[in-house]
Amino acid sequence: MPEPPKSVQLSVDGRTIEAPADSLLIEACKSVGIEVPSFCYYPGLSLQAACRMCLVEIEKTPKLQTACTVIVQPGMVVRTATPQVHDARKAMLEFLLTNHPLDCPVCDKGGECELQDMVFRYGAAESRFLEEKEHQPEQKFSPVVYFDYPRCILCFRCVRVCDEGMDVKALGVGQRGVRSTILPNRPDGTLECEECGMCIDICPVGALTSDAYRYKTRPWEMEFVGTPCAHCGDGCKTTLNVRNNEILRGNNRDKTGINGEFLCLKGRYAFDYVHHPERLRRPLLRRAARLEEATWDEALDFVARRLKELAGDPGRIGFLGSNRTTNEENYLLQRFARTVVGTNNVDHHRTADYAALVAALAGDATRYAASGDLARAQAVLLVGNDPTHNHPLLAWNIRAGVRLWGTRLYAVNARDIKLRRQATRFVQVPAGQEAAAVETLLGSAGNLPAEVQKALGELRAALEKESGVIVVFGAELYGGAVARLVEFGNRLPGHTRYIALGDYSNSRGAADLGVLPHLLPGYAPVANADARRRWEQLWNASLPALAGLNARQMFEPGRLRGLYVVGANPIKTFGRANTREALGAPELLVVHELFLTETAQLADVVLPVAAAYEKEGTFTNTCGELQRLRRALDPVDVRTDFDILRLLSHALEKPIPLRTPEAALEEIRREVSGYQVSLATLLTGEAARTAPVDGRLPKEAVATPAGLVFSSDDSLFTSGTLGRFSRVLDSVHERKLPRSQL
Amino acid sequence: MALQLSPQLRQRFEQLKKRYPVRRSALVPMLLYAQDELGYVSPDLIAYLAEELHLRRVQVDETAAYYSMLRRQPAGKHHLQVCTNVACMLRGGYAVLEQVRQRCGVPPKTPTADGVFSYEEVECLGACTGAPAMQVNYDYYENLDARQAGELMNQLRAGKKPAPVPYASGTQLGEPHPAEVRVLTRRFGLPDSTSLDTYLKHDGYQALDKALKQMTPEQIIQEVKRSNLRGRGGAGFPAGMKWSFVPKDSPKPKYIIANADESEPGTCKDRPLMELDPHQLIEGMIIAGRAVNAHQGFIYIRGEYRYVLEILERAITEAYERGYLGKNILGSGFDFDLVAHSGAGAYECGEESALMESLEGKRGYPRIRPPFPAVVGLYGCPTVINNVETLSSVPAIILKGGEWYAGLGPPKNGGTRLFCVSGHVNKPGIYELPMGFPLRRMIEEVAGGMRNGKKCKAVIPGGSSTPVLTAAQLDTPMDFDSVAKAGSMLGSGGVMVMDEDTCMVDVARRIMHFYAHESCGWCIPCREGTTWLRKMLERFHAGGGRREDIAQISELAKNMLGKTFCPLGDAAAMPTISIVEKFRDEFEEHLRAGDCPYARAAAGVGR
Repeated sequence: MPEPPKSVQLSVDGRTIEAPADSLLIEACKSVGIEVPSFCYYPGLSLQAACRMCLVEIEKTPKLQTACTVIVQPGMVVRTATPQVHDARKAMLEFLLTNHPLDCPVCDKGGECELQDMVFRYGAAESRFLEEKEHQPEQKFSPVVYFDYPRCILCFRCVRVCDEGMDVKALGVGQRGVRSTILPNRPDGTLECEECGMCIDICPVGALTSDAYRYKTRPWEMEFVGTPCAHCGDGCKTTLNVRNNEILRGNNRDKTGINGEFLCLKGRYAFDYVHHPERLRRPLLRRAARLEEATWDEALDFVARRLKELAGDPGRIGFLGSNRTTNEENYLLQRFARTVVGTNNVDHHRTADYAALVAALAGDATRYAASGDLARAQAVLLVGNDPTHNHPLLAWNIRAGVRLWGTRLYAVNARDIKLRRQATRFVQVPAGQEAAAVETLLGSAGNLPAEVQKALGELRAALEKESGVIVVFGAELYGGAVARLVEFGNRLPGHTRYIALGDYSNSRGAADLGVLPHLLPGYAPVANADARRRWEQLWNASLPALAGLNARQMFEPGRLRGLYVVGANPIKTFGRANTREALGAPELLVVHELFLTETAQLADVVLPVAAAYEKEGTFTNTCGELQRLRRALDPVDVRTDFDILRLLSHALEKPIPLRTPEAALEEIRREVSGYQVSLATLLTGEAARTAPVDGRLPKEAVATPAGLVFSSDDSLFTSGTLGRFSRVLDSVHERKLPRSQL
Repeated sequence: MALQLSPQLRQRFEQLKKRYPVRRSALVPMLLYAQDELGYVSPDLIAYLAEELHLRRVQVDETAAYYSMLRRQPAGKHHLQVCTNVACMLRGGYAVLEQVRQRCGVPPKTPTADGVFSYEEVECLGACTGAPAMQVNYDYYENLDARQAGELMNQLRAGKKPAPVPYASGTQLGEPHPAEVRVLTRRFGLPDSTSLDTYLKHDGYQALDKALKQMTPEQIIQEVKRSNLRGRGGAGFPAGMKWSFVPKDSPKPKYIIANADESEPGTCKDRPLMELDPHQLIEGMIIAGRAVNAHQGFIYIRGEYRYVLEILERAITEAYERGYLGKNILGSGFDFDLVAHSGAGAYECGEESALMESLEGKRGYPRIRPPFPAVVGLYGCPTVINNVETLSSVPAIILKGGEWYAGLGPPKNGGTRLFCVSGHVNKPGIYELPMGFPLRRMIEEVAGGMRNGKKCKAVIPGGSSTPVLTAAQLDTPMDFDSVAKAGSMLGSGGVMVMDEDTCMVDVARRIMHFYAHESCGWCIPCREGTTWLRKMLERFHAGGGRREDIAQISELAKNMLGKTFCPLGDAAAMPTISIVEKFRDEFEEHLRAGDCPYARAAAGVGR
């Protein structure tokens, strides 16, 4: 670890202040509450000194100096509030306003505009500018990015965040002088990029706006609800801007949460699936071979009746859980399966082998890395996955580490992933040979091509010189391969930590909470009598002692009479034919869904459920960070998965005594390994670290068969079922591009 | 790809890609050479260069967008570039422009229907002592009037190509004024003065021999310090001291750059120094390289000086062939490589840090300083960057000694200076005079006195960014310290003389027009301030002024002064402030008259 910087003392506005020796004056001032205004200065991005708003007086320096470029010196005497400084700020604002249109009343930024705020504070009320303003018409850079030239104050934040933060560099500067403009990267004046919208978010004025939000509302007419994003497994906090039960915008301007201000296209815009016209609002019941609308009572009665009819044969009922439902719902689902129906036939589409990681860590809870750790790591080893597409926040953090902290990234991948640009070493292995690469790292000869072996040898030698590596791996590694990777990682110097990469917003939670045929919540083996007994006592029920069917086994012909699917679309995910036979021809097929997916179309009953933004609960991101969902919208006509399962447990006369998600969370926090987190942390909107451990997992419990752990490999522009119903995701042309082109 | 490039151009691209430590540096010359062949910078070309240089398309696009010589639309076969900057304006540049405009009958930068011509008003071409000047593609035509411009167009249209007047514009070849002390210009006028043999016959490369074989690097720096040589680019920073800032223990490569981006209006001295005596500059650069242990030099020359670049390239080739460049120079074991690099039209690239950005193939934005180039310069390495005249002075200093050189001028202002005397004098020209030479003698004696017997009203002493001096200040000795004492700056040696018929409001307007055009757009006060002031001064000069504008012009200029990112803002503010202060009555007259009282006289200016 680097030594903490020494601090220096200096005087600002007559106060003696202390600041780290290498800090910028503007930050030193901010740390003691002295605001030095700026447009172009932005923490984490390269310095510009272009806006000249932060000019301050420094004793013994003849000219005013930009506080954003001056490094604090011991004994420095700084004045930020003199008439000279005030006049300079006023002059800069006057210059800026010469070409800035005074269209605040129709500008989206009105009310949250940094220029407006600064003029209000430091500026002149009257304009002395009589000349003609520079003007160019508004440009549509992309379906989500509009550029309004006259409003641009050329702070170059957008250009820098796109280049330095995103490593996309889709924006440049065109023309020069007063005609300077922001230049998109395609010759026809449009963008080809990741469409993340960071440029819009970071724009201090209304020069960059999004189509989704333009001219819809004013900031003060909305409510702001910070909640984890419903899409990938990174768990960014997105602040939903809501008016009249409609989400109008997603951003994270207060920079709270694990992602700070970062959001990708999905986190920022793909909330729109909740408002999609094809959202299911009424339960559907199959009558005379057709799915027809039914009342909730009819639908729930039907499900309860049919489950009762099948109850004598619990081993022939299976439950397929979700990567998107809350922890509380996952907990309830597996408890429903195990205690109400009496089966361990419960699984989900596993997108990472979290269980294998838990087993391999052998009880050491200190070996989980958090998402933020990547932004300050000394070294990262990435095996498999394409974080740019599958884990945009983690990719952002890795880039930030490389850029700002000198993180060395080592990557082993079958594809030429974009993060290769940040990698100190990159080894491309043949597709499907990631596990073999791990073996090579461990020193076995293996069958990989000689040049790959050599490159891996060099990679290992480089890693052996690092300390405290964070090892990140995708679904390419599962079962024993994860154990082997951990074996390699734990040999490296320092304290190696790990992140397993799963696809969706609560992929981790599904595993942690026991939506698995062989593991109870907290990865307690079903086969372990002690573990079983503990949960039997808590749930006041007896649990089947044998592991249940896994997802693929459930689809085998004749295995199941009833298949109960919650928030999943196995037809698509598991690549099955579009028939019930492909799902093992169950007599009963129940589906909880938001949309009429391929699987839902085959169901006997489809129960329309609330989306993540319409309910309470918690998600666990792929790094194990637990966050609380805050309900942004009132669900209309639909019900939460939680409520449906709870009501059914009553209808089946084995009531689960958890009335609310809060009650379920309380039980989870008390009982599930690794979930003993602070409620205060959750309630204040922060992420709480979970660390499930179990040193007793027998080998066979984690000998994951092939075909169960795999990633859907969504791109930046897809998101499973939800992504298909997002108009914004569908609108950007990049969705159709080959990935390598981005 | 639809792009068709000649084999010659492709070969040139291959050479360009290889000749820089960082490939991207080739971008601006590649754009320019490709434009020469294709007529403009097309979207296909941008895509092609992005691929060639491993850049993103937008990086090529934004770089191309910065430089005023790079066009996005085809031009006519003969692209007429008429300078109307102050020195040309004073001698009828606008009349030439008007003639060209009328004959073309199309908007600027648009080809005529037959594709023969296109035209545009351009900023200072560095032909101030041959004003008014026009460039046709890369060829210079000087000392024009409207009639001659029209005649030139007739000939061009008829397929004839009158010989351009590239050589030694405005210098009195071979017949110096008796007051001149010819140190740097002593080979001007010799037959074949650019050849290595001529150079060798007249002391050429003897200083290099001495520096390499008889002197340590420290001794070279000491000698330059002793000479009191101060930077000739405008700031006047002592050259020896600049060299001594280069860290000796740095493991990084070090670079020497000759700043040949001469663009300060009124300044046209580096052009003949390179055009007539290229080896003197090359020798100076090698010696500078030896002094700071640099093995690579670059001459960054403004794109308009294409024929000068070609002269330099020939001289460099000759120097390589004869062992004055390359490995083991003169058997000393010292290696030095030199590249002449073309800019593409941007005054801002004369600012040293912007020049380095440009040389790295980027938009010419200045850099945050500190760190200064001596420590972190080109490609992040220690770099000495000096003006052409400064480096050209080095051989004489080494050969004859710093003390001798210092003795040519007053204390702390060593040596001679090339003064470019332009405007309303009888004999505009570039004169090498000792530092401290009195301004009045320069005008009345050396430059042949005021034209048409008029009285002198004002003098811009050192390029358009320096505050004007009035007729009452003509006794100022022309050295850094004395001119500073008189409230202005010696600057770059561009002395622009204005007679009693000159409208100073118009001068202020034209100066601001220049800085607004050349502002890079990086910082708010310069970007917005120069354009605001340009528009105000245009309105005021055209008779639309208000009384409060006079104070406001001055106030806005002061709001820029000292607050901009680089000195361009100051350069725009200082002359403006001085004109309002010293010629306030002329602003008042414009208010009273409702238009420009000098308009009629100005229309008659020229010949």
